[in-house]
Amino acid sequence: MIAYLVRHYVFTMTVLKSAQRRKSAITVVNTTYKPIVSILIPARNEEKVIARTLKRMTELTYPKDKLQIIIIDDVSTDNTGKIAEQYLKTYNNIKIVHRNELEGGRGKASALNAGFKHAKGEIILCFDADYYPQKDIIEKLVKEFDDPKVGAVQGRVTVLNEPQNIVTRLVALERTGGYCIDQQARNSLGLITQFGGTVGGFRRELWESLGGWDESILAEDTDLTFRVYLAGYRVRYVNDAECYEEAVESWRAYWKQRYRWAKGHMQCFFKHWLKVLRSSNLSFREKIDGLLLLTVYFVPVFVLFSWILGVPLFFLHPQHWIGVFWIFVPVSLYSFVGNFAPFFEVGVGAHLDGRTRAQWLIPLLVLTFLYSIPICTKALADLLIAKISGKNDNYWERTFHSGNGNCYIMS
Amino acid sequence: MILDSTPITLLMLLFGISAFIIILLLPALLELKRPRDAGPRIIMEDVIVTQGFQARGITLIASIEQEKLGSDQTVVRKIADIIAVLPNLEA
Repeated sequence: MIAYLVRHYVFTMTVLKSAQRRKSAITVVNTTYKPIVSILIPARNEEKVIARTLKRMTELTYPKDKLQIIIIDDVSTDNTGKIAEQYLKTYNNIKIVHRNELEGGRGKASALNAGFKHAKGEIILCFDADYYPQKDIIEKLVKEFDDPKVGAVQGRVTVLNEPQNIVTRLVALERTGGYCIDQQARNSLGLITQFGGTVGGFRRELWESLGGWDESILAEDTDLTFRVYLAGYRVRYVNDAECYEEAVESWRAYWKQRYRWAKGHMQCFFKHWLKVLRSSNLSFREKIDGLLLLTVYFVPVFVLFSWILGVPLFFLHPQHWIGVFWIFVPVSLYSFVGNFAPFFEVGVGAHLDGRTRAQWLIPLLVLTFLYSIPICTKALADLLIAKISGKNDNYWERTFHSGNGNCYIMS
Repeated sequence: MILDSTPITLLMLLFGISAFIIILLLPALLELKRPRDAGPRIIMEDVIVTQGFQARGITLIASIEQEKLGSDQTVVRKIADIIAVLPNLEA
């Protein structure tokens, strides 16, 4: 708990201090570095949002002769494929990969692997079907690959349908803290910057040497992040490379999404924790941060365990040595909100964005913290049961996109 | 400890904690009820934003051209704030 407390406060202070310097900074871009880029867009039943995304892809300012857009229609039963076909007729740099029921429907990693087979680019970028990027986002992301040490890049995600309801507004706040502060700080401090699976990408040759996406992991982005670092490369975060996304709009959808994230993250922990400790390609700080990143979804489970143990002790007042463990109750009560450090991250992130009024919603983040306890507990329980029984139930529950964010964009 | 306290003390403690929670959540509830900054955060120059004014019968079309205005997206936000306090003339 103390480690996360210190980590989040250090992150917040780092970004605050660098914020002033960034206002007057001039970004130097090597305009001669223009590799061929392939964009992968996996889509399954995304008819409400795919048209908006594809239209945006045709508006990108990156040279069209160096840009390839690959849509992976992953066993869609709606009009996703037909909508994508419309763009295929007009734009010759767009390609569609249709997957049938035998080969498709096995999750995002599988879809991306299928799309990659058709990619020609030196740099591979990924965007989800509901994403709406800045026109010059490709230039902003790709310029980082001029540094040979960079294996992958990650841009910033902003919620488009933020005004929808309380869920979307809280998710927007989480995104602010997560990207504007957390990712930014990790990038500045030379720690483990995470590739989020979208609004980002990687070197083709690195991806091939790593063997592609691991289809057995639900959090394929976290898995790739650690494999990139273990291979001796780095992930670079680009805060001004921004893209809109459509956030989940209900608590049920929030559960499904975070359950997948939690379970996938825990899978990554079991896969990578020892490699991280033993790696000669990671510094001591990177190892510590890597382990903290891998274990973050275990924290709510630990909080629940503390309550289960501490509350009875608090009321029973046993006389022998175990009685002192009642202290778990106040410590875990304080800790279940992340030691309040995430609140500082979100608050400072909103302040830097000029969103003073949105900061008023920060106390409501307690709801998401509380909600994360059963989510993460179930994820761990399901994972342990799967490991013991030998049955790998990796059902990929896709996030439904309603297209409610479309009304905020008219271009 | 707490359980050894009198009922009045316990009631006062409960009242105090409840009051604290309500005061803590009051700004959040106000922002949810009457949003002044519901978003979305503007991240691009060429997007035309009709930011939630349709319900009031006002269509705001604000095109941000960064080179011309020489400013960042806070300009649209300021315009939006001004529009928000105008009366609904169609009411």
